[in-house]
Amino acid sequence: MNTSTVNDIAEVWDEPGLGRRALNWLRGDPRAAFSLVVLVVILGAALLAPWLAPHDPTAQNFDRMLNGPSAEHWLGTDDLGRDVFSRLMHGGANSLYAALLAVAVALVIGVPLGLIAGFAGGWTDTLISRVIDTFLSFPAIILAVAVTGAMGIGLTNAMFSVGLVFAPQIARLIRARTLVVRRELYVDAARCFGASPLRLLWRHVLPNAIQPVIVQSTLLLAVALLAEASLSFLGLGVQPPDVSWGAMIARGYMYMSIVPEQMYAPGVIIMITAVAFNALGESLRAALDPTIKGHS
Amino acid sequence: MATAVKANRVKQKMVVSRLLQALPILVLATFIVFSLMQLIPGDVAVTLAGENASAERIAQIREAYGLNQPFLAQYGDWLWRAVQGDLGASLLSGEPVAQTIARTFPNTLMIAVYAVLLSVLVGVPLGILAATRSGSPLDSGIMGAASLGVAVPNFWFGMILVLYLALTFKLFPATGFVSPREDFSAALWYATLPALALCTNGIAEIARQLRSSLVEIQSSQHVRTLHAKGLSPARILWKHGLKNVSVNLLTVVGLLFNKILAATVVVEAVFAIPGIGSSIVNAVLQGDFPVVQGAVLAMVVTVILVNLFTDLACTVLDPRISEA
Amino acid sequence: MKKQNRDQQKTELTVNGNGVSRRAFMGYLSGALAAGTLIGPTGSWAQSGGKTGLLRVGANANPSSLDPATGGSGSDHVFLYTIYDTLVAWDFDTLKAEPGLAERWRFTDPKTLVLTLKKGVRFHDGSALNAEAVKINLDRNRGAEFSNIRADLASVDNVTVTGDHEVTLALKNPDTALPLILSDRAGMMVSPAALEKHGGRVDRDPVGAGFMRFANWADGSEVVVSRFDDYHGKDRPALEGIEFKIITDSATRLRAVMSGQADLAYHLDGRQKPLVEKMPTLSGSVSSTIYVYQLYMNMSRKPMDDVRVRQAINHAIDRDAFIRATMAGAGEPAYMNLPESHWAFDKQTAGLYPHDPEKAKALLAEAGYPDGIELDLRGYNDQSSVQMQEVLLAQFAKAGIRGRFRTGTIADMSASYFGQEKTGDMLLSAWTGRPDPSLSYSLMYTEDAYFNAGSVAPPDGFNEALLASRSSDDLDQRKAALAKVQRLVMGNALVAPLAFRQSIVASNDKVTGYRNNLLGKPKFNGVSLKG
Repeated sequence: MNTSTVNDIAEVWDEPGLGRRALNWLRGDPRAAFSLVVLVVILGAALLAPWLAPHDPTAQNFDRMLNGPSAEHWLGTDDLGRDVFSRLMHGGANSLYAALLAVAVALVIGVPLGLIAGFAGGWTDTLISRVIDTFLSFPAIILAVAVTGAMGIGLTNAMFSVGLVFAPQIARLIRARTLVVRRELYVDAARCFGASPLRLLWRHVLPNAIQPVIVQSTLLLAVALLAEASLSFLGLGVQPPDVSWGAMIARGYMYMSIVPEQMYAPGVIIMITAVAFNALGESLRAALDPTIKGHS
Repeated sequence: MATAVKANRVKQKMVVSRLLQALPILVLATFIVFSLMQLIPGDVAVTLAGENASAERIAQIREAYGLNQPFLAQYGDWLWRAVQGDLGASLLSGEPVAQTIARTFPNTLMIAVYAVLLSVLVGVPLGILAATRSGSPLDSGIMGAASLGVAVPNFWFGMILVLYLALTFKLFPATGFVSPREDFSAALWYATLPALALCTNGIAEIARQLRSSLVEIQSSQHVRTLHAKGLSPARILWKHGLKNVSVNLLTVVGLLFNKILAATVVVEAVFAIPGIGSSIVNAVLQGDFPVVQGAVLAMVVTVILVNLFTDLACTVLDPRISEA
Repeated sequence: MKKQNRDQQKTELTVNGNGVSRRAFMGYLSGALAAGTLIGPTGSWAQSGGKTGLLRVGANANPSSLDPATGGSGSDHVFLYTIYDTLVAWDFDTLKAEPGLAERWRFTDPKTLVLTLKKGVRFHDGSALNAEAVKINLDRNRGAEFSNIRADLASVDNVTVTGDHEVTLALKNPDTALPLILSDRAGMMVSPAALEKHGGRVDRDPVGAGFMRFANWADGSEVVVSRFDDYHGKDRPALEGIEFKIITDSATRLRAVMSGQADLAYHLDGRQKPLVEKMPTLSGSVSSTIYVYQLYMNMSRKPMDDVRVRQAINHAIDRDAFIRATMAGAGEPAYMNLPESHWAFDKQTAGLYPHDPEKAKALLAEAGYPDGIELDLRGYNDQSSVQMQEVLLAQFAKAGIRGRFRTGTIADMSASYFGQEKTGDMLLSAWTGRPDPSLSYSLMYTEDAYFNAGSVAPPDGFNEALLASRSSDDLDQRKAALAKVQRLVMGNALVAPLAFRQSIVASNDKVTGYRNNLLGKPKFNGVSLKG
């Protein structure tokens, strides 16, 4: 199911003219363009960390623990004498993976749920909607903490829980859009031609419902990033020798009274990334939302 | 007059249907909370029996905790006792869960409400300021700060606050808490830093929402006409802007409360506050599932009630419904 | 400033204190528990008379129970010691047995232990602590279904009251470890009247004969005890009460002292030592403990079943570097289960495993792993543990030992490693120690011991040596027998000890008379507050 979702998203983007439209949009929206550049740089640094990072992120040196920035270590060294800058790069890979995983899980669960609810209507809709409402009443991080605790600690489990917590938001969005689209004429027309409900869902409803989901997903990436930080801080995230931004804050926190600088870098990079995701999401919303923009 | 009566009737109907909708959600929530226990890998009875337990002892425990009954029967039993206020007792320390909640929840609520109040008190003026000076450097400054406010990890911000306001300048206590039931002013004192750490998102969100709603209203045909008629901008803002967005704002505040309540989990850890969030984290870490169930339930019920209340308030206040 | 006043008021509300009488004070001065060095120059605080106040302590964990028989956590003792007195006490520096509620004891023959109780001791509820009460307690501890300390008293066959203040323990086999066992949970005396009142266990309603009586326990938040005015004999407590504030994170705990919300915090991490030393208003007590970080090994799994692999792991560890990196130097390298200052320390065993990655590699090759080994490692998920795991992984890598740590909560990881699942080759954890070392060895290495995850039979001669260590009343003979036990354990590398934790306690300048002990579980009997 998830592959077809992805395919369909890709399809939307592959529509002729969309690439050019995106380019025009970015040209007209410097904030979005800048956010995109920031994200590409951060993502690139994270993905290429094994080749680009100046140091081995796990190489320890007890002769220079908790040092400040220097020519060799741009952001200083951590509690075990490891290069903070290199760890930020490697940690970024895990943190971004975590955020993407959470949002992917949310989509995989939320999209079909929303489609089914919106398309089927009736008591199916009522039931799913009630479940969605209920899950939305759970304080997000607390549910994630409880589920992670139950499933076992680890980054993947933690972010799976976060995804689970996000899923109702996606489902609710999709459901609302599906309801609108369903009523629209061309769906009725397609139905008249004898298309199967499933085909209707994938070919017509989904592409039209997916735009707000793209916006929401981008915004959720920021939330997921913050959730990773929170869960790692509580010790529910990455496992050694892996590193993530949240885990770096957690470690820096141990030295807060001694070397407060240890907490700054990971916190600031999380903030920058989250701001960029948010800015991009809002620009996307403005660009994609038919009520704000003329064409869609 | 007839329309007013009709509107009232519509409102009554909506209130009733909201109340009826909340009920299944409450029941579902209890079911989900209870099911959390089933997710725990391994046999709960074995965990309960502890080190070196004999098979007999495990069987005994299974019997004593009703773990040999079918799942739904266990759920029904738990729910029935929960309704009567009996949420079981901690597996580790034996403290009744209801007592844990009564002790810790006021602390968490204190921080959360404090943070929501701060969010409103700071966010609303900032939002109005940004909207009235829409497009000015002040506006972009406020909105820029707001996007940071949304993106800052609040527990990290809490650490920074502790570092500077508590340890360096010693303005506020770095850790601990005083129960608001014991000494309210002391509680306020202790809750200030945690509330500050929690309110960044709230301030930012309220300011943004308020600004965008106000800007939208300002640019509407109706308001433009009023401008043309020569009404003072402040009067227009008050009569046609704020009154209209107040409902919107109420919804935002309701959602915010939910978010802030959740975020207390991590912030309480930073400040070593004996709140319900830290109870949940500790219980999760120690596999103390009655505490997890009870405390999560307490939070969820609170959120559902707050949502219900904001919904109802919106229904009653919403001018669009009276116009209908 | 205002806040401090408020705190003061709160202090006075929570404690039923009327200030200490002059007589009580003089009594305290000559207290036996003070053991000389416990009290500083007396003049400085003797005149502070009635205003002795409430000691606010930053504690590291919520108690698992306040009933000595039902609790299971090593961190409970700090609370329990205030409420309960033990039959036997120990010397702070060496953990040798000393008189407690029992003013003397003797083995009339290797299988009979006679305890003579101090007279005139009362429990908090006014009932008498006599031979009958001791019998009720010992029978409960070794017999009750819910008792967690039945194993401690397994060698006791029966307990008889042989006088108003004399109890005789008939043993199944010689067990000279018993006196020190009676300095632990098993020797903490609970009021029989309270037991009767609360259905046999007093998890949340503890009544003992300790220098403090129980006042309040709020889970995860605080435990409050207040002075017991009829504390036995001359050891009148100087404090009006103790308020334990439970703060699990050690950095936060120290901050509580730094910013004035607590007077004293214990179980701090090594990395906080320089910080304590830097603060002019704080004083630190640092000393070795028998609390040892170690890698438990499951010897039933491949490749851990090969003694050479286990020896290689021991050689691969650079204990000095480990201490430097993870404990900021505040630790003692552990080459066996006892620190150097312990009476049963064995110098010969301690020299077995110098840091030698090359030798480790050679041993692995000899065992048939020329390319090194890959291990499934387990550990806990708090940052201090993770830091240790990272250091170990780096050290292992240099000796051809690869692996990842799977982390989880203490409850989960311990249960799956030692319990029925038996997951993982090694677990990075700790051993909190027992007052009598023979108990540590039997709990960790005998075939049916819970902490012997692989349930592998100990090496030949281990059981005999262990038995011998419990058969003699003579310290030198016991020491020789324990040395043999220790050599068997380490020679066969049944464990990889890493470092003994140092007890790091920070207190503000009001606290006087606090002193660390080798057990690493603070006792506050001699403490008072200035000003």
